[in-house]
Amino acid sequence: MNEANVGTTDQLIVNMGPQHPSTHGVLRVALTLDGERVVSADPDIGYLHSSMEKIAERLDYRQYISYTDRFDYLGAMCNEWVFVRAVERLAGIEVTPRCEHIRLLMAELNRLASHLLYFGAMGIDTGATTVFLYCFRERELILDLFEWVSGQRLLYNFLRVGGLRNDLPDGWVEQCHAAMDALASRVDEYDTLLSENRIFIARTRGIGAITAEEALAYGFSGPCLRGCGVPYDLRRVDGYSLYPELDFEVCVEEGGDCLSRHMVRSRELRESIKIVRQVLARLPEGEVNVPVPRRLKVEPGEVYERIESPRGELGCYLVSDGSDKPWRMHWRAPSFYNLAPLDRLCRGHWMADMVAVIASTDIVLGDVDR
Amino acid sequence: MTTNTRQPQSAWALLADIVGGAASVIKGHVVTLRNWLRPKVTGQYPYRDPAKEWVPKPGYRGDFALIHDPERPGGLRCIACMACANVCPDKCIHIIGQGKGKERHPAAFDIDIGLCMYCWLCVEVCPVRAITLTPEYHNVAFTPQELIRDINDLKARGEGIAEPLLPVPIERSVLQPPTAKKKDVSEA
Repeated sequence: MNEANVGTTDQLIVNMGPQHPSTHGVLRVALTLDGERVVSADPDIGYLHSSMEKIAERLDYRQYISYTDRFDYLGAMCNEWVFVRAVERLAGIEVTPRCEHIRLLMAELNRLASHLLYFGAMGIDTGATTVFLYCFRERELILDLFEWVSGQRLLYNFLRVGGLRNDLPDGWVEQCHAAMDALASRVDEYDTLLSENRIFIARTRGIGAITAEEALAYGFSGPCLRGCGVPYDLRRVDGYSLYPELDFEVCVEEGGDCLSRHMVRSRELRESIKIVRQVLARLPEGEVNVPVPRRLKVEPGEVYERIESPRGELGCYLVSDGSDKPWRMHWRAPSFYNLAPLDRLCRGHWMADMVAVIASTDIVLGDVDR
Repeated sequence: MTTNTRQPQSAWALLADIVGGAASVIKGHVVTLRNWLRPKVTGQYPYRDPAKEWVPKPGYRGDFALIHDPERPGGLRCIACMACANVCPDKCIHIIGQGKGKERHPAAFDIDIGLCMYCWLCVEVCPVRAITLTPEYHNVAFTPQELIRDINDLKARGEGIAEPLLPVPIERSVLQPPTAKKKDVSEA
């Protein structure tokens, strides 16, 4: 706190949210303010709690997949993927190469859609409304692809244990190529509007800065952690699925502030386009489904499966007692851990900068509360 | 205190800062101008022009329909086996069956689409592929009662639908291939 301010103003407690347009959902932050300065920020979560983990105990594995869409609704394909991966590892099911390729493709398209929404939200929270409209226009290209292949635009229920709901329709690959071409030509425009804009840089550089040690201690993951200079990307670290065979770069930025986190996502857009194009080029022919019993029973045991979701390390911990339902399950939701240091990130900044900090951590409140 | 107060060292640095800032804003405006010249992608809803109405893709998961079979009692393929009612995570399907063996058919078939989450599992488990989701998405109603689809409603919606709607042929999905149909009916 600034010494000159002490004694001249009283501290004021302000509730930001839960119905605040900049809190990305129903998040309430109890702010202690000294003038316009944030003295402390205490996030209050749980407004969107929906017992996702308890619900899993009363549904079988097939029924629960459509619930996984609904907590981190911006990365639904990734949620489904980590869940079916966990079940398949417990049950010892191997999926076909074509299925694995399509799953990876969906996850990367979902990352693109999620990062595009982040760009829009970040823009609108820092006062750049234009980029929000453009990003949603391009996000529509990807949602159209999802709608075509899975039948819905946001809550796909597309992955199955041992396969997929259906194969790619004829002409889908061509439309995906076209969408990637359209998107690739527009990404530079977002950078011109945001990353290279002096006003945006002034709003984000040095704001919400955190060191790599602190970030690791708080359990940061995903683009937030890579924005602190830690090259930790599960796609490389774990090398799950087909990622070891693909050529992409782990985007790392030094600085740990809002701008670094933003730049990581900006570069990841390009990397994801690169990955999608590679996967489309090597997409094998063949079956997508392996035979799985209608009422799948897995061996007793436990498994922790994790993948890199658009927000970070998304983990699924599953305990089975041998029945057709999970005995216990837990989600390691990246948004929850990325929200945790909010007080540390905002302290001492202007209240207006808090909006940029929340936007730059790219939290989804459904993911925080589950 | 971390603020964004920039303090240029000299008048030249200040001038460079102003020119650079202005340039970045102008560059942004060039992008906006370019996009202003691009075709409009948004439309009006409700539709002013029926020709511009958004048509979902064939496999879109919207409202329900029951598939017809004129040779069966009730005129529907459904054998009232309750597979869909049991698998439904929201328990929004309510069926009353009638008749025995091959004659079994639904006397009542209610779906509460206010509860439904359009997960498509009912279509997936149906042994005779009697139920489908259609691209119909105008599901707005004034009362909750209007959101309950009864058997007549579902039958009317199934007019002209031969198989569950999917973006691909049924063989390339998790649904059973058409050859399995006859066997399943005789088993049931």
